[in-house]
Amino acid sequence: MYYRIRHRTRYYYSAPVHESLTEVRMHPRTEGRQRCLDYQLAVTPKARVHVYRDFLGNSVHHFGVPASHNELNIMAESVVEMKDFPDTPSGLAADAWDELDAEVKRGDYWEMILPSKFSRPTPLLLELVDKLGAVRRDDPLRLLRELNTRLHDSIDYVPETTTVDSPIDDALKQRKGVCQDFAHIMIAVVRNLGIPCRYVSGYLHRSGIEHGRSRENATHAWAEALLPSLGWVGFDPTNDLLAREGHIRTAVGRDYSDVPPTRGVFKGDAATAMAVAVSVTASDHLPPELAELVLPDEQSFPHDVLALNATSDKMKEWQRAQEVQQQQ
Amino acid sequence: MLTQAPFQNYWYGTPWDEMFYPGGEPRAHYEPLMRVLENLPAEEIRQKKQAADLSFLHQGITFTVYGKSEGTERIFPHDLIPRILTAAEWSKIELGLTQRITALNEFLRDLYHEQRILNDGVVPRELIASCPHFRREMRGVAVPRGAYVAVAGTDLVRLPTGEFAVLEDNLRVPSGVSYMLTSRQVMKRVFPSLLRECQVRPIDHYGAALSSTLRSLAPEGRPDPVIVLLTPGVFNSAYFEHAYLARQMGIELVEGRDLLVHDNIVYMRTTSGLRRIDVIYRRIDDDFIDSLVFRSDTILGVPGLFNAYRAGNVTLANAVGTGVADDKAVYAYVPAIIKYYLDQDAILPNVETYLLSDERERSYVLENLDKLVVKAVGESGGYGMLVGPHSTKADQEEFRRRILANPRNYIAQPTLALSCAPCLVEGESIEPRHVDLRPYILFGEKVTIVPGGLTRVALRRGSLVVNSSQGGGSKDTWVLQN
Repeated sequence: MYYRIRHRTRYYYSAPVHESLTEVRMHPRTEGRQRCLDYQLAVTPKARVHVYRDFLGNSVHHFGVPASHNELNIMAESVVEMKDFPDTPSGLAADAWDELDAEVKRGDYWEMILPSKFSRPTPLLLELVDKLGAVRRDDPLRLLRELNTRLHDSIDYVPETTTVDSPIDDALKQRKGVCQDFAHIMIAVVRNLGIPCRYVSGYLHRSGIEHGRSRENATHAWAEALLPSLGWVGFDPTNDLLAREGHIRTAVGRDYSDVPPTRGVFKGDAATAMAVAVSVTASDHLPPELAELVLPDEQSFPHDVLALNATSDKMKEWQRAQEVQQQQ
Repeated sequence: MLTQAPFQNYWYGTPWDEMFYPGGEPRAHYEPLMRVLENLPAEEIRQKKQAADLSFLHQGITFTVYGKSEGTERIFPHDLIPRILTAAEWSKIELGLTQRITALNEFLRDLYHEQRILNDGVVPRELIASCPHFRREMRGVAVPRGAYVAVAGTDLVRLPTGEFAVLEDNLRVPSGVSYMLTSRQVMKRVFPSLLRECQVRPIDHYGAALSSTLRSLAPEGRPDPVIVLLTPGVFNSAYFEHAYLARQMGIELVEGRDLLVHDNIVYMRTTSGLRRIDVIYRRIDDDFIDSLVFRSDTILGVPGLFNAYRAGNVTLANAVGTGVADDKAVYAYVPAIIKYYLDQDAILPNVETYLLSDERERSYVLENLDKLVVKAVGESGGYGMLVGPHSTKADQEEFRRRILANPRNYIAQPTLALSCAPCLVEGESIEPRHVDLRPYILFGEKVTIVPGGLTRVALRRGSLVVNSSQGGGSKDTWVLQN
């Protein structure tokens, strides 16, 4: 499966601002079954875009606009290839908890076990933990599947009930929230069990998903837990799903604060409004402009050229010299 | 020998007296000072003290006390009687500090790259991951010459055996060096001949040494680097020092708003346009340095600075993330860190430290809160600490509650019998007071430690807290030529 993702962000300022700096985390990751084939970032006003990789392997693009401006447009377009996922078992062996603890002890997972800015065991969260019966039992996978469903059932998905900076207590009090809250609560519950758990920011493609309640065209967030023999497994409590082919991952972090799609600062006394539009389309075929330019097959070379493959050292030196000349 | 005025109120036999043997004989290296003090009429001592105080006042040498509503700006209390170290004592300190800073910089480089020391289990991974000063953003970022800590101020105490031990490393933005320098200038005026007679090693080259350390850390390809000192501004407790050091080095003193970042290059706004900056001696904490990356609710720093830093276009001294190595719980591992990287035993020992995240050590500490000193691991300046023997039951209960709520955040140490040095009290009588010593270490192309440091004094009788923010003062530190 191939996805084409278009993610447009526009900032409006009520008065001119200057010296704005913006960081963008929208570059889909390449790992596991997902491969990012193309990524383009266009910015107006025009700016030179720099890129670095953060400590979790996310690509971060950033740029500055020194001159005065009233709006800022960011257009990120990417093409992602997603291989089919194997079926996830319904549960693991009974000794999976021991295996998990051994794995955690061996590895470097503290970042994803310790409380983070948004995902922390507040008294309200511990109440929920009690209510959900989120204690070690069965096996880790079976338990997390159950918690994923129960979390989905106990909190309503209501857009615009919380903001990007909302602590999980807001959603826990109101019993409603958005995907970011679901993910943060799930992470806190899972970490509380001693299971490494991280935040995933990305997109959701809805094809074939019947009961999901995420909005069609928007960014999405879910959680990933480390499970023995399976590695990182995605849980999407907003939609009561396991993350599979339709979950396109752009960045992973301890929680939202590590991976906001955009983050910026500017100078000027202005109010900001922001508008976002996202479109994810799927296709079975690679977009033609990304198709590899295929060279003529080796077999079709004349035989005397092929014979040159068995060159002596002397011949190799001569070849290198010719190469350099051709480039000059 | 019977001492006369002004030592008539002095008492001998404190666990270690810097000046006197337990019986009251002055140590050989204090004899010239002793002769001067004994022959000075009380009136002249008073005059010298006044002259010194006036000089501090005129130079505007003040500091700010946080957490008090009334009058936060204070004159720095200065004691007239110098603390004297022999050449032999100093040379051991110098060796020990050089060893320590070398290992700590190696530790930081390792933590932010391969993490060998964690993989080998010498330092627990959880300890680092749970340290708020461990900056994940620094993973993989190259730092010129591996000089994460370019300027350190290490607090030493002298134990009752006479041996120096490290109480604390200050590896973020250590302050106080201006007090060391101005105190010497004043002493030169007050005791000109005594300084010469004792052959006290000079410290005036600190500014030049700091300047050349910073130059040696400039990004590659910037042979004539522009250096600035970045201050949080006039409301910071050490603003006097920032201005003083900038003047000493002949560099610009800037605030965040004076700098800007464009395309990963840092510029300073000047009347004649933008000027590229290569090295920033920053006296702002990590949290406030770049609102794009760290705390966003601040205007003290420079947005975009960290990206310029990561790209290698500007050097920050100290580097970001050095606080993980002066975390008071990590401190307990420094001897092991020295052994690990340098395969040497620590020349300067640590003070025994209990980690409260350890269950056994915790229960011991909770039972002995009245005897121990408890410190919050991330705090400095004497804030957030309990001195057991001088605390009330209510204080102890409060700390018990805090420790149980967050054990990782606290350590405990035995209450140390800090050494004592004679101090002029109330401008009249000389009495012993507890002191420590903070030498300043520069790490660039080479390690430079100007001989001496800031001797801090707990001016309140019997007090063990020397921090200026907690009613401490300072005195000049003399290191003898031989």
